[in-house]
Amino acid sequence: MGTLYSGFRTTLSNILNNKQTFALSVATITISIFILGLFLVLFLNLNSFFLKLNNQVQLIAYLKDDITASQKSILKKYILNSPKVESVTEVSREQALAEFQSNMPDSLRALLELDFNPLPASYKVHFAEVNNRFNHIQKIANKLKNQNGIESVEYGEDWIARFERFMTFSRVFILALGCLLCFGLTFIISNTIRLSIHSRQDEIELMLLIGATPRFVKIPFLLEGMLQGLVGSVLALFFINGVQYYLKKEFQSSVEFLAMDFASIGEPILLGLVGLSISVGLMASYISTFQFLRLINKN
Amino acid sequence: MIQIFDVVKMYDGSTPVLDDISMEIGKGEFVFLTGPSGAGKTTILKILFGWEPFEKGQVLVQGINVGKLTHRNIHTLRRSIGVVFQDYKLLPNKTVFENVSFAQEVIAKDRKTIKFKTWKALKNVGLTPKKDAYPAYLSGGEQQRVAIARAMVNSPSIILADEPTGNLDPHISIEILKLFEELNHEGTTIIFATHSQEIIKLGNHRVINLNRGKVDTI
Repeated sequence: MGTLYSGFRTTLSNILNNKQTFALSVATITISIFILGLFLVLFLNLNSFFLKLNNQVQLIAYLKDDITASQKSILKKYILNSPKVESVTEVSREQALAEFQSNMPDSLRALLELDFNPLPASYKVHFAEVNNRFNHIQKIANKLKNQNGIESVEYGEDWIARFERFMTFSRVFILALGCLLCFGLTFIISNTIRLSIHSRQDEIELMLLIGATPRFVKIPFLLEGMLQGLVGSVLALFFINGVQYYLKKEFQSSVEFLAMDFASIGEPILLGLVGLSISVGLMASYISTFQFLRLINKN
Repeated sequence: MIQIFDVVKMYDGSTPVLDDISMEIGKGEFVFLTGPSGAGKTTILKILFGWEPFEKGQVLVQGINVGKLTHRNIHTLRRSIGVVFQDYKLLPNKTVFENVSFAQEVIAKDRKTIKFKTWKALKNVGLTPKKDAYPAYLSGGEQQRVAIARAMVNSPSIILADEPTGNLDPHISIEILKLFEELNHEGTTIIFATHSQEIIKLGNHRVINLNRGKVDTI
């Protein structure tokens, strides 16, 4: 307890003696955690958008033109009996054409004055909201493809797969960015602590000469590194929350048309960022003190 | 109390600073370690408190085999030894009182004990009126007395003094020697490294003479 108290006092004295270096290090941590936080906000919102789209995906099974009424009835039953299927809506060839024409601009409508209807009849399959919905739809689509009377099935797999790949890339990108920032922060904090150690080199040597334990020597610097991490990350959280508040206020109406809410970083992730920053501070200061003590012991 | 057997210490791997040195110093003894510059006086002291490694031999301090200690447990040895340096090694940003109490802070003594013992040590060296002064405002003799107070404040059983009068006027040197003799009367073993023959003549103690890394006379 006495060691910790004395460690805190030395830490405060270290900080006061090296105010500028401490402030610079804290500012670097703040900026780094802030950048990481911004990417997390972006990722969370993209992810929430992706999940929303995923839940809106429906499967369309196009029917062959020569499909018989009994084949249609068997097919409908088969689809309805498939797991997690909520409902099936039949769209006849005429309905499909009418729908297509209604979606066409007037200027192009003349192009569609055909003698025959090229559009097939289809079943629109609606699924319940379940976890891993897209994979579930994919499985049913693969089964349906082989059924009699089915021309083709469509559920937007191409662009969803592309979006999914993008989300995977985003995850890897954020992880890599996090690792890179942690590495950079370790380097910066470790150098700050090294400066702090060098400014007290004589004192540390004397401490060791008169019987201080290596732990006693290390504690103030470890506390300093942790404090840098704590202050830097708390400031970053303050800015991240500010940005989130601003985005929510300005863009909530823009995302509302997608029936979405603006996604904010949750408390566990925020606390995780603080924990990460403190851990990086601790690791960086440990590296510096370890190297310094090893050098002294070698001499 | 202190036993040194066949110790060899090299610098640069080839030049022997201590060449097969052996000596014994009893509990409560006052010993002058003398010899010309470069004879190995400081090296012996540094070996005794585990600051310098050595290539061969064995060093026992109060039964502790110094060569076997690692940086993790060397503090146990250093806490039983007080060291006085020729250049005092006082911390310039701390007052006299803080410099002396620092030696107790690093071994995690409680505040009350620190205050009591620091006061007592300063009283013993006659520096209580200067307790709030910074080292830069003290004379050489006063700075050395602070260093002695710091070395004695934890009541070590051994005090190693490396040329403690090296930078001081003769009359102040005598005062410093008296301080060490008082500590010795209280039972502390003293190893006093000096090249000053005047100091050696003044104190009636055993002399170990070193020359080019070897013990000349004991």
